[in-house]
Amino acid sequence: MTAAPTGVPDTGGIRLTDLVRAELTKIRTLPATWIVLALTLAADTLLALPAATDVVRIAGSGGRTAAITQFGTVLLAPVYAFVAVPVFAAGGEYRGGQVRVSLLAAPDRNRFFLAKLLAVLGILTVAAILVVLPGHLTRRALGGADVAEATGGLSAEVTAYLLLGLVAYGFAMLVRTVVTPLAVLVVLPVLVSPLLRGLSPEVTRLLPHEATLSFLGMPEGPHLALDRPVGLSVVVAWAVTFVGAAWAVTLRRDG
Amino acid sequence: MIEVARLTKRYGRKLAVDDVGFTVRPGRVTGFLGPNGAGKSTTLRLLLGLDHPDGGTALIGGRRYRDLRHPLRTVGALLDGAGPVPERRGVDHLAWIAQSNRIPRRRVREVLDLVGLTGAAGQRVKGYSLGMGQRLGIAAALLGDPEVLVLDEPVNGLDPDGIRWVRDLLREYAASGRTVLLSSHLMAETAGTADDAIVIAGGRIVAHGSLDDISAGHESLESAFFALTGDRRGLGGRGGRGGRGEW
Ligand SMILES: Nc1ncnc2c1ncn2[C@@H]1O[C@H](COP(=O)(O)OP(=O)(O)OP(=O)(O)O)[C@@H](O)[C@H]1O
Ligand SMILES: [Mg+2]
Repeated sequence: MTAAPTGVPDTGGIRLTDLVRAELTKIRTLPATWIVLALTLAADTLLALPAATDVVRIAGSGGRTAAITQFGTVLLAPVYAFVAVPVFAAGGEYRGGQVRVSLLAAPDRNRFFLAKLLAVLGILTVAAILVVLPGHLTRRALGGADVAEATGGLSAEVTAYLLLGLVAYGFAMLVRTVVTPLAVLVVLPVLVSPLLRGLSPEVTRLLPHEATLSFLGMPEGPHLALDRPVGLSVVVAWAVTFVGAAWAVTLRRDG
Repeated sequence: MIEVARLTKRYGRKLAVDDVGFTVRPGRVTGFLGPNGAGKSTTLRLLLGLDHPDGGTALIGGRRYRDLRHPLRTVGALLDGAGPVPERRGVDHLAWIAQSNRIPRRRVREVLDLVGLTGAAGQRVKGYSLGMGQRLGIAAALLGDPEVLVLDEPVNGLDPDGIRWVRDLLREYAASGRTVLLSSHLMAETAGTADDAIVIAGGRIVAHGSLDDISAGHESLESAFFALTGDRRGLGGRGGRGGRGEW
């Protein structure tokens, strides 16, 4: 049988870039992507105002108040809206049975996974810069370079968004839903970490959120602090683990 | 040309496809017939590499689906449970599929026009009716102008006009020397469309040949179908091995 039948001209074998373009289109044409990005941008920018001007203080222990920049969890909160972008990109495959269409179009599971990963990486990088930059500039303009530096610097922040986005992406590809990864990633810092840190700060500081805070130079207290390079390595390890596991499982799944 | 040999698939203890073998020739429309749960969709998934067989082979043009260089230009498929994300617009669904296999963008407009969805192309798929969704699936199958069409119950949800359109399309497709395999449990509809038929029941092939051969000695294809499948209903069948007199 000839590979290229009548009507549609054969333009050579299918390249990885064709598959990446298709994956980019999938993400771009999902309304959730844009809603989530708008939310993240708004949250990031709004949080930059109190962080920069020190107007808002959060009640701390012993009746003292603390500047919002000391509460990394609050400043990092928008990332949990942001990670919904890769989560929807992954979980969307399992809505309406799209993954079967995807695997018909790209039957080689390695290429399928690689193309999707590259598209997600590209989107995450560009989107992270776009949503983080306005808040960063606001802090710089209103609070000066010190405040901007205090929150880790632009490239560190973008890296943090990218890595947590990859953790979420791998997680969603593994469990094939949108809800579970988002719920778990939010519940970990909000509920699990406060309970766990009393019992074992050594373990708590290795959780993705806490390690990211260490990497950004704003750990929630000295007992949860890791050196910044160590924090970075821990988050990278989380991302590699989740994406790697998702890759391995995708190869063994049939559709 | 589709060649299936000794294909077997087990789900737990259930033998969904049991030593299935058949060939589908180009230039003809072949109906894949069987009652609910007979193993039609499973066989088609195995053929398209969306499920892993426990034994046997399924080849398209001499290759496994997974080894095709141009999957969508070679095979167009409409499958159960393979469709667009409901929030996506119809046109975007086709656009990414086309990009993935380097099919020119203009082809998206062509197939939308062909299935009569041009007016609804910009609508989100969740707003589609059953028949519109089916038409979008058929449009996706036709995108690559493939050599082989594999359609799982293509007329499901279509209005009489749509059914006639699919019949004419498939007949034309086969007349141009290409291969068409469609599953169905609608006998009257299949009798008007297909040249050949493969009848499956309880996971096993119970008849394979031209429609005339299969209906010979019966009043109609429908009564032949009941005679062939009556004791091998897929639903509630025991491991697909239930021959007459076993229960
Ligand atoms: N993923 C699965 N897990 C377990 N059992 C399955 C699975 N898919 C199919 N089966 C079983 O395999 C048998 C064949 O199912 P299949 O969907 O292939 O039938 P079918 O001929 O397409 O039926 P219908 O006409 O209703 O579409 C059924 O008994 C079904 O319960
Ligand atoms: Mg079926």
